[in-house]
Amino acid sequence: MKGALEKAALPVLLLVLWEATARMGLIPIYLSSPSDICLATLELLKDGTYVDALGASLFRVYSGFAIGAALGAVLGLAAGMNRAIANFFDPLISFLYPIPKIAFLSVFLMLFGLGHASKVAIVATSAFFVVFVGAEQAVMSLNPRFVWAARNMGAGRSTILFRVVLPACLPQLLAGLRVALSLAFVLLFAAEMIGAREGLGMLIVEGTEYVRFDIMFSGILAFAVLGFLSDRLLLAVRRRLLRGQMIGTEEQAI
Amino acid sequence: MSLSAVSGAIGRWYSIPLLLLVWHVAVVSGLTTSRLLPEPASVLIAFYHDVANGTLIAQAAVTLARALSGFVLGSVAGILLAVAMARVPLFSRLVEPLVFLGYPVPKIALYPVFIFIFGIGSSSKIAFTFFEVLYPVTVTTYLGLSSVPTRLIWTAKNYGASKLDIFWKVILPSVLPHVFTGCRIALPLAITIVVVTEMIGDSAGLGYYITIWGTRFNYANVYAGILMIGIIGFALDRLIVIARKHAVYWEKNNVRL
Repeated sequence: MKGALEKAALPVLLLVLWEATARMGLIPIYLSSPSDICLATLELLKDGTYVDALGASLFRVYSGFAIGAALGAVLGLAAGMNRAIANFFDPLISFLYPIPKIAFLSVFLMLFGLGHASKVAIVATSAFFVVFVGAEQAVMSLNPRFVWAARNMGAGRSTILFRVVLPACLPQLLAGLRVALSLAFVLLFAAEMIGAREGLGMLIVEGTEYVRFDIMFSGILAFAVLGFLSDRLLLAVRRRLLRGQMIGTEEQAI
Repeated sequence: MSLSAVSGAIGRWYSIPLLLLVWHVAVVSGLTTSRLLPEPASVLIAFYHDVANGTLIAQAAVTLARALSGFVLGSVAGILLAVAMARVPLFSRLVEPLVFLGYPVPKIALYPVFIFIFGIGSSSKIAFTFFEVLYPVTVTTYLGLSSVPTRLIWTAKNYGASKLDIFWKVILPSVLPHVFTGCRIALPLAITIVVVTEMIGDSAGLGYYITIWGTRFNYANVYAGILMIGIIGFALDRLIVIARKHAVYWEKNNVRL
């Protein structure tokens, strides 16, 4: 009980301070206030714009992430296991990896237009590189003794792949997925702010343009909650998938 | 260089020239419209031209200055914050929820608020980069500090080491790899954030350069800008890897270059 109180102390204090200073007119109007943000959220929920914006952003970030992560995982694992595939991809990846993928946004906007496709493509591209590198390194750092042991006991190629390589690579693969997920939200937000007709980024831009700072913060809040819950969901999946491997290890807080 | 070394190098690096060749042939033969995809040579010419007349260098300097100042301020503050959390239990209990709950939240959504507070220019970019860098550096350093093996500290104490000695000779060396891990996550993030925020709104920097040439439908210059960002990102990452090798010299080299 005391622990929970301590945990909540600072966030609650900050919220109260925010509300109080806003009521007294001590902070600029663009900082809005928690009560106004709640009211704006209710208003947006009632007329349905919230649900539409949330739906568009959710669809973009999840489909982009799924496409990029699936391609990255499959090709990354393949490159880790096969020298020829690695030889083809490694130079390209090491050249393109350090470039922030958002730089390609103007090209994608011209190619795919202002709708869903350009956002899905940019999110997928950024997820692909991170997951590819994570998957390839996971296979490369695999203890070869596991594979030798399985082979000695007469395991076939597919058995080795699904029963030895994949489970051993899962922790690093999931670490890559987590980084890719957090990047996906950054890219989605930037893409929606720069060129979109719907979505949470658009809602936030509209809020600033119509001087409705409560709506702006309401959009920011939705975006933050969406990102946070997605991360928690991935962590829950990770705990479930790795429940055998994590026995006896101390789970870190993040 | 022996023949086998040459063929080995070709075998490892053939894909970049191959792709450039496919790109070139596709554009020259008219398979793709060259508006979105100018041929590689014209990208290089645009790159060379804008480097020679200084515009690309000037924009790169703006982006680099913003990214580096945000990164340095953010990592110094992050390390100090982590040390304070590790040293003062009450402070750690109060701040920990904000740090660990805030870590997975996409902070980019707060950028419009930063524009209102700090204006559209450099200060909002640096402040926001600081904010984004702070989190990964704080979290990795804090986890590093809390995973220093207590046995090492006990041993040092038994041998009569002073508090200062323990800090410099036991705690710092075991935390250093974590700090570098945090920095290696944070540095590309800093560059991404600066480019993103420059694309959202500014009149200087590489993000602006790319956007402005994109709206003028001059994609050779867009790719030249992307190339410049790639070069900067690559060089900075290499610098961190080299710095880590010198600072954490006892570590077995398992960082693949």
